[in-house]
Amino acid sequence: MRDLKHLIFFEDLLQEANNRLIQQAQQEGDVCVAYVCENTPEPLLNLPGTFSTRLRAPRTGSMEIGTYYLTSFLCEYTRALLERAVEGGYNFADCIITPDGCSMMNRCVENMELLKALGAGKDKFFFEYMEIPMKSDDNGLNLYKLQCTNHILNPLRDNYGIDVSDAAIRRAVAEHNRVCELIRAIGDFRKEEKPRITGYEFHVITLATYVAPKRMLIPLLEETLEELKTREPDPVNPFRARVMVVGSEVDDIDFIKLVENSGAFVCADRFCYGSLPGRDPIVLNDEEDALTQICRAYMERGQCPRYMNTAKMDARRTYVNAMAKEYGADGIIYEQMKFCDPWAYEKMLGSHILREEFGYPVLAVDRPYAIASSGQMRTRVQAFVESIEIKTIQRGGNNG
Amino acid sequence: MAKEIGADRLGDLYIDGGKVRRRREWRGLADTMYDYSRWLGIMATLGKFVMKPRNVKAMFRYRWMANYLAVPMMVDRHTQGLRGEYLRICHEEQDLVIKDVAKLLDSLFRGDRRIGNDTEFSKKVVLVDENEMTAVMMGFPTLKCLSRETPSTYVSVLLNQHAAEHYIDVAQEFGLAGDVCPMPEAEAGVSIDDDAPVLGACAIQCNTTCDGSLLGNGVISRRLEKEDGIPVFQLAAPLRHREDDVQEYAAQEIRNAIAFIEKHTGVKWDWKAYFECARRVNYATRCRQEWLEMNRTPWPQVFGSNLALYTETNYMAICGKVPEFERADRRITKLARQAYEKRKMAAKEYRHRAIVWGVQSHFYMDFLVWLLNCWGIVPLTDMLSMVSTRELKEEDTPENRETAIYDMAWLTENMIMRNRTHGGYRVLLDELWEFTQQFNADMVILWEHMSCKALTGMHGMFEDRARDLGIHLVWVDHDLFDPRIISRQGVRDQINNYMRTVMREEPLDPSLEVLHDEESW
Repeated sequence: MRDLKHLIFFEDLLQEANNRLIQQAQQEGDVCVAYVCENTPEPLLNLPGTFSTRLRAPRTGSMEIGTYYLTSFLCEYTRALLERAVEGGYNFADCIITPDGCSMMNRCVENMELLKALGAGKDKFFFEYMEIPMKSDDNGLNLYKLQCTNHILNPLRDNYGIDVSDAAIRRAVAEHNRVCELIRAIGDFRKEEKPRITGYEFHVITLATYVAPKRMLIPLLEETLEELKTREPDPVNPFRARVMVVGSEVDDIDFIKLVENSGAFVCADRFCYGSLPGRDPIVLNDEEDALTQICRAYMERGQCPRYMNTAKMDARRTYVNAMAKEYGADGIIYEQMKFCDPWAYEKMLGSHILREEFGYPVLAVDRPYAIASSGQMRTRVQAFVESIEIKTIQRGGNNG
Repeated sequence: MAKEIGADRLGDLYIDGGKVRRRREWRGLADTMYDYSRWLGIMATLGKFVMKPRNVKAMFRYRWMANYLAVPMMVDRHTQGLRGEYLRICHEEQDLVIKDVAKLLDSLFRGDRRIGNDTEFSKKVVLVDENEMTAVMMGFPTLKCLSRETPSTYVSVLLNQHAAEHYIDVAQEFGLAGDVCPMPEAEAGVSIDDDAPVLGACAIQCNTTCDGSLLGNGVISRRLEKEDGIPVFQLAAPLRHREDDVQEYAAQEIRNAIAFIEKHTGVKWDWKAYFECARRVNYATRCRQEWLEMNRTPWPQVFGSNLALYTETNYMAICGKVPEFERADRRITKLARQAYEKRKMAAKEYRHRAIVWGVQSHFYMDFLVWLLNCWGIVPLTDMLSMVSTRELKEEDTPENRETAIYDMAWLTENMIMRNRTHGGYRVLLDELWEFTQQFNADMVILWEHMSCKALTGMHGMFEDRARDLGIHLVWVDHDLFDPRIISRQGVRDQINNYMRTVMREEPLDPSLEVLHDEESW
């Protein structure tokens, strides 16, 4: 296939936390809101005059300082973030907002605060921590709204004079939805038998929407969508199986690349930083305030394993099944970052349930933050692809 | 063999590679007779338990029941070297806890569909987590609040250090990563192994201490709801428990949990019973505070495992529901006052005053006794004993009923361990140094439970602060339920090395420095 026109630009955005679009937006006077967890409602961080960036630590090498403060038992994502923060890599941010999504993330940001690793020279810089619901119900919704008001909207208004009115929130949702619609439309090409976009390309584009100001990306996404409509897929499909990747935080583009280089096309992405359900539009009505509707959307669609009620737990697995069907996955790769407690349990149960109750071939793996070109992971994915092929042959899929 | 404290070489009582010790300790005539009579009392409790055929049947059905053979040995481990009031305080606590666990086991097997199958009794049972504050049961005096995880994993590991290994392996063979906390991992393993009694009208789970605990519950509830047909309510206690803007959420969770229990048991909440329990909780709190006050002086009385294990049981599992614990509180306080007035000491020499912080190694709960006997380090208090001291409303008025909901929510949020490991760094990091000042401590023994992410996530900050304040900080690594990772001697060696190389000290009792107790219960 011909290279996508803006792919190199999107890839370039992912090379630095403080990418060129962030710099440009800040020069234009916008406030940069850093965050670290998918349970932080994104539109509330993208009000007129603000934009969000979800922190990553691209090109991570040594994590010695992060490991000293957090020990080697915390996940590498948190250690890499702390390391980068101590190096001064996030000093561009104007504030950071984090929920107690998991203990490790919470400790990571607390260490940043205690070490004064962010906000150098920024008088208005603030750290905010918020409680988020662990169940999807009315009580959880009330909590979510209150926490978003107290720990996102009020601090942005009080420190930076940001308009946090319902009208402003609705404008932010409209912009958010435009990005989501474009990502959805681009992602839909993955459903094709001969896909005209690879999982890697899609991951790069999706990832960019989490780390760069959305308004600046919209024209590029629109152009990419148009380009894809006429893009010719390779005459011979280079992939031997279609897989859905499910699991914890993946902001490492090399991981998806490795899976695809091993013969498996990543047709669906149900992981933090992925598009399912992170890039579902939030449909607002006029009867209810926007904040309530945003919180409800995040709470109801949330696939984070910290949601502990049975209905949500069951829904996580049925969601994977539904997406696997919709995107035509032959198998599922459950991944977790090593030392991630929530996904360690979800991976264990999910992989059994998807295999035994829904009948999918499932590969369960744990991985480091930056996978580079891990031979072990490549071997495991290759073996998984072969096992899917064998199963297909045994079912008579190839000879009718 | 001596009557005096610290005159014996306690290490000589150990047999290399043995499960039990060589012989009982001689403590002088009066103390030995007292200790022996209490030993007989424990045997009577156990004897009464095994007289029931259903309990014998359970011994053969449930793998973890074999650990209960080690009950007398557990008490002996905790009474090592103790004399006079200290010995009596230890027995007051331990013997009562044993009786309570025996009752718990008896009730579990009575209702268990596989053993006693008393269906009418089972309808009155509400299952709760092991590590769950049972405040929400304070107003249900006619219901039985039973925890299956307490006897299958929690107490089992106290009795036999190797008790959880099988269940940890089961969970890992099922696909669970090996780097999660072994406590919820073992509890999940019991469920995967289908090795827990099946009974109850409903169950209340809670996001107790950590992410692992929260997620481990998902494994257990799956079997409970989908196979055993027992409805489960997941009680979400906010993590940022010191913040005002989470209290309404917490209170509503309590209201919802009570409504759930009423619906599934048909029993109505009883305010009279609640306020009676609240009065007992307040009494327990006042007693604990008095003990801690004494521990700030040069003559601490209720400390070490005497404080830790009892607080854990009384504060969380009992939560005012069992009158016997109020009587025990009274007797313990009387003994403590008596010893305090006489300026008594539990060891021949107190060299260092230590705050024990972090999550203790469960397979080595008597480590605190060893610390005192071997090195003269007094464990003045520990993280798990520094729990809520808030006075609950005791009088039944309409206003107090509303406040009571918030009191229960507060207690639930402030369960043991999570009240320190969650809620922001202030409760874990900053308050530790405040306590070292309040207790005039010169040392912090910091358990580094390696799979506890909330705790190890402050590792560097603990070191930085200790360095700034000039406090001796001794790290003790362990893996909570799994002595295969770091053994009991591995735990001791970390103290031994620090005391010899940094403090340049010799042990009070050198026979305790190295013990070959790898195979011991």
